[in-house]
This record gives sequence, structure tokens and C-alpha cells, in this order.
Amino acid sequence: MIRAENLTKRYGDTTVVQDLSFSVRPGSVTGFLGPNGAGKSTTLRMILGLDAPTRGRATVDGHPYAAHRAPLTHVGALLEARSVHPGRSARHHLMALAHTHGIPRARVERVLALAGLTHVAHKRVKGFSLGMGQRLGIAAALLGDPATVVLDEPVNGLDPEGVLWIRTLLRNLAAEGRTVLVSSHLMSEMALTADHLIVIGKGRLLADTTVDELVRTSGGASVRVVTPEADRLRTLLPGARITAEAPDTLLVTGLEAPEIGRAAAAHAVPLHELTPQAASLEQAFMDLTRDAVEYQGASA
Amino acid sequence: MTTTTTTPALTITPSRVLRSEWHKLRTLRSTWITVLTSAALLLGVGILMGATYTSDGGDSDVDTVVLTLYGSQLGGIALAVLGILVTAGEYATGMIRASLTAVPRRLPVLWAKAAVYTATVLTVSLLTALLTFVTAQAFLSDTDQAASLTDDGVLAAVAGNAAGVTLLGLIALGLGAALRSVPGAIGAFVGGVLIVPEILGMLPYEAMDTVVRYFPTQAAGALGSATPLPGAASPGAALLALLLWAAAALAIPALLLNRRDV
Ligand SMILES: Nc1ncnc2c1ncn2[C@@H]1O[C@H](COP(=O)(O)OP(=O)(O)OP(=O)(O)O)[C@@H](O)[C@H]1O
Ligand SMILES: [Mg+2]
Repeated sequence: MIRAENLTKRYGDTTVVQDLSFSVRPGSVTGFLGPNGAGKSTTLRMILGLDAPTRGRATVDGHPYAAHRAPLTHVGALLEARSVHPGRSARHHLMALAHTHGIPRARVERVLALAGLTHVAHKRVKGFSLGMGQRLGIAAALLGDPATVVLDEPVNGLDPEGVLWIRTLLRNLAAEGRTVLVSSHLMSEMALTADHLIVIGKGRLLADTTVDELVRTSGGASVRVVTPEADRLRTLLPGARITAEAPDTLLVTGLEAPEIGRAAAAHAVPLHELTPQAASLEQAFMDLTRDAVEYQGASA
Repeated sequence: MTTTTTTPALTITPSRVLRSEWHKLRTLRSTWITVLTSAALLLGVGILMGATYTSDGGDSDVDTVVLTLYGSQLGGIALAVLGILVTAGEYATGMIRASLTAVPRRLPVLWAKAAVYTATVLTVSLLTALLTFVTAQAFLSDTDQAASLTDDGVLAAVAGNAAGVTLLGLIALGLGAALRSVPGAIGAFVGGVLIVPEILGMLPYEAMDTVVRYFPTQAAGALGSATPLPGAASPGAALLALLLWAAAALAIPALLLNRRDV
């Protein structure tokens, strides 16, 4: 169980995380989403006690991370930035961390096997690929058999097999009753993995919701209407949000297809096409974060 | 993942943090390289000094322990680099994030690093210094530098040399922890600890001489001499001064450690 209360982080004059409050519950995968630079990694570092909040606080199982006597058994974390000495072997790296808590060697071997690293465990991390490095980070996160798992962009650098492995792993961890918080800027990935979503933009909370709920409330569902009398149809649909895609093509939001069809029929407006457009999660995410994108590419 | 057959209490204890730091120290090649380099330099220069020494070569007034352990000045630099790698090296690689997530109260990590480094470097330096002295003396038996470990002050000076090298390295370790940068800390150590006092000592002020003799390198020199060096601190005062320097060099990063983001 993770709880953030009014978390705020300022670096100099820039506020990177602002007044962020949320909680992450056990038994499900919670996706932590936001565009690049939204403050996800900063928030996770504050949860792990690596960065001190400017204001507010974060707790895990009721206590600040650093107050735990055996933090690795409460929270296992994969950080965004590499946190391994490249000159040490994978096994020695895990062993060094295990020693701090008196975690037995057998557990180190167990997480090495779980991450599929047993055959390279004696090799120095220097020679690891990005994906193997991610796997080592995940092995380290699971070392203390923690009740909460926090992973910052875990699929970074993984091949399709690795991505599938992570997805299954996260689902299993949640099914075992653990709290799982995973950050990503890929809504599509989260749609496949997460049950719950926390969306932030420019350091502020934009949504704390379920995947289904987000699509439903984003208002993204619209209807495409093609008609030679577009201007007349507009006047027949009060209360709807209408944008013109082309002179004869309208995108109508706020009304269902049958209502539009009925209105058109009642006034004898010919319709060439009437198509409900299901909003994709990706679209819902973009709608939500449009105003909060830090680095927006100029569109051609 | 529910199959952990663990000992009853998985918690952080000071001895476990020590064990972790010892594991880290011995599983890096850089540790072996710097330690063996320092030992080779000490022994090699000692043999060179012994083999090339002649009684009428004008070095008769040089202290015999200073002469035979002359290589500790170079070897000490290798050990100072090790001290810097132990702390700043973790910031350079990102390992510090793993270390401080495992031990989020942070200070035990710094103390354990200092303790493990001190124990290792003191042991290796002492054994190498003894070996070097005895080996060099095998060449010096027919000269006016002939001496034995049982002679007045000799054993204390050999041990003092090892203690001096270790405490200088501990200062380097503290600089690494404070500056969080390997090149930065090496620069600060070479500039601030090795060179600046030499320059200050050359200034024509009487008072400056008195102060400089308590600076780390000069104090270490006084510790490693069997006979009192001219214008140097007494061994007791030198040891105290070095201990205070090392304590200060560790206190600064200790004060900063819990205030700074990782
Ligand atoms: N130590 C720091 N000093 C100054 N600014 C920082 C620091 N760390 C992060 N920032 C800034 O804070 C903002 C948020 O960064 P953060 O890494 O938390 O974003 P993110 O949501 O994880 O982004 P991404 O998806 O790219 O990983 C960025 O603008 C970044 O430049
Ligand atoms: Mg990030």
C-alpha cells in the first residue's frame, strides 16, 4: 500500500511535482502514466526516500520508506536510471544487497532464475544488454519478496518476449495480493497490464481511475457523419460538440448515433455515412494530457 | 514468490551493512588492482632503495624506515584512489541508488564503507610495510642504514607508515563521498592534500611551518619515521592530527548525506 499526500518537489524555481495525492492499493496493477517529463520518476524516487519532497509526504505500509527496519521486504523497486556497478557480476550485485538484510543466498539464486539470468549471473554487468540490465533490476526489486513493487518503465529495452514476461509477472504479483505500481508513457502497454490508472501531467494529478472508466468519461467517443448538408445538420444538433473534418464530414461528440440519425431523418437531411468512433485508450490519454505535455512536437 | 525459507528476522543491522560493504569491496577488480599496485610500489621501491644504497652516497642522515618505505608515497596514491572509488565510484555508476534504497537511513553505509576500507588498507599496508622493511634490510646489512625491527622506534615507525597511508586514504574516501565525483575527488586530494601544504610550507613564514607540520601528508611523514624529523610534529601529535583530519573528512559527507537527494 502506497500513499502520497500532497507530494510536491521543486528543483530551484521549477515545480516538477505539485500537490500530488493518491493511494495505490494491493491486489491490482496500478499504471502510473504521464507524458515525458511529467514527474513520474521524481514521484517514485520520493516514494523510495531517494529524493526528499519539498512538501507533503509519501508512505509505504503506513510509514515513510526510510522508517522501515527491513525496507526491501516492504518495497522492491526498479528505478529508471541504472543502479548497478557495471564492474560487478549480477550475482555479486544481488548478494551485496541481500547481505544488508540478511537475505539468504538461496533467495538470490531464486530471483536470478526468475529473471532468467542464471546462466549469466557470474558475468560482469558491464557486458549486459539493455534488456538484461532491466531483468537484473527486476531481480533486485524482487529480492526481499516485497509486498509492494514499484517499477519505473520496466519494459524499456525489452524484446517482445521480455515485454510479455513483464506483463505476466506484474499480473501474477498483483494476483498474489501485492501492490504493484508501474510507470509508463505508453497507454497501450498499460491497457494490457493495468487495472487502475494514475495519470499525471506537469506534476499534477489528471486522473485516478480505472482503465474502463477513463475511456468512458474521456468524452472521446464520437460519431462520424457524412452528409451533403453539413451546415443544416449542425443547426439540428444543439448541445453537441461538432467539428468539421471536411466540408461534408462532421465529427459529433456528445450525441449517440441513433439520436443523430433520428434528427436527420426528422428534417430529411440525407446521410451518406453515420459511424460511431470508439475512442482508443491512446486517444483518451492524449485528450487528458494535451494541455500538460511538456515537450510537444510541432505538427506539420 | 511465497517460497522464501528465510531466517526469522530479515532486518538491517550494522554488522549486515558491514558484510555488504565488504562483499562490494572484494568483488570489484579495481579494488584488487589498486591494492596490489600499492603493495608492488612499496615493495619495488624498497628493494630498489636497498639494492642501490651506498654508505658514502650522501643519504646517511635519512631515517632508515623513511628510506626503505619510500615507495609508500606512490603506493599511498593508489590506495587513495581506492578510497575515492569506494564512495564516489558508486555515484559515478549509479550503484549508490541501490545501496541507499537497501539502507535508507544512509549513514550506516558511509560508516561501513569507512570501516571496511580502514581494516583492509591498514592490514595490507602493515603487512607490506613489514615485508618491505625486512626485504630492503637484507640489502642494507653491510651499510650504515642497517637496522632491525627491534631497534628503537623502528617497529612503531613501520606501523606508523601504514597508519599514515590508511588515514590519508580515509581522507580521500571522505572527499569522494562529499564531492560525489571520481575525478573531482582525485583532483581535490592531489591538489588540496598533497600539493597545497607543500606550497604553504615553502612560504617564508615561521608560523606557517608550524601549522603545516600538522597537515595530513606532513603528519603521515612524521608518523613513519623512527627518528624525529627536523621541523616535524611528534608521532603522538601527528597521529592525533591525522585522526582529526580523517574525522573531519568523514563528518562533512555524513552531514550532507541525509540532506541531499541521491
Ligand atoms: N535532479 C533534478 N534537477 C532538476 N530537474 C530535474 C531533476 N530531476 C528531474 N528534473 C526535471 O523534472 C521533470 C520531471 O522529470 P521526471 O524524470 O520525473 O519525469 P518523468 O515523468 O519520469 O519523464 P519520462 O517519461 O521522460 O521518464 C523534468 O522536466 C526533469 O527535467
Ligand atoms: Mg521517468
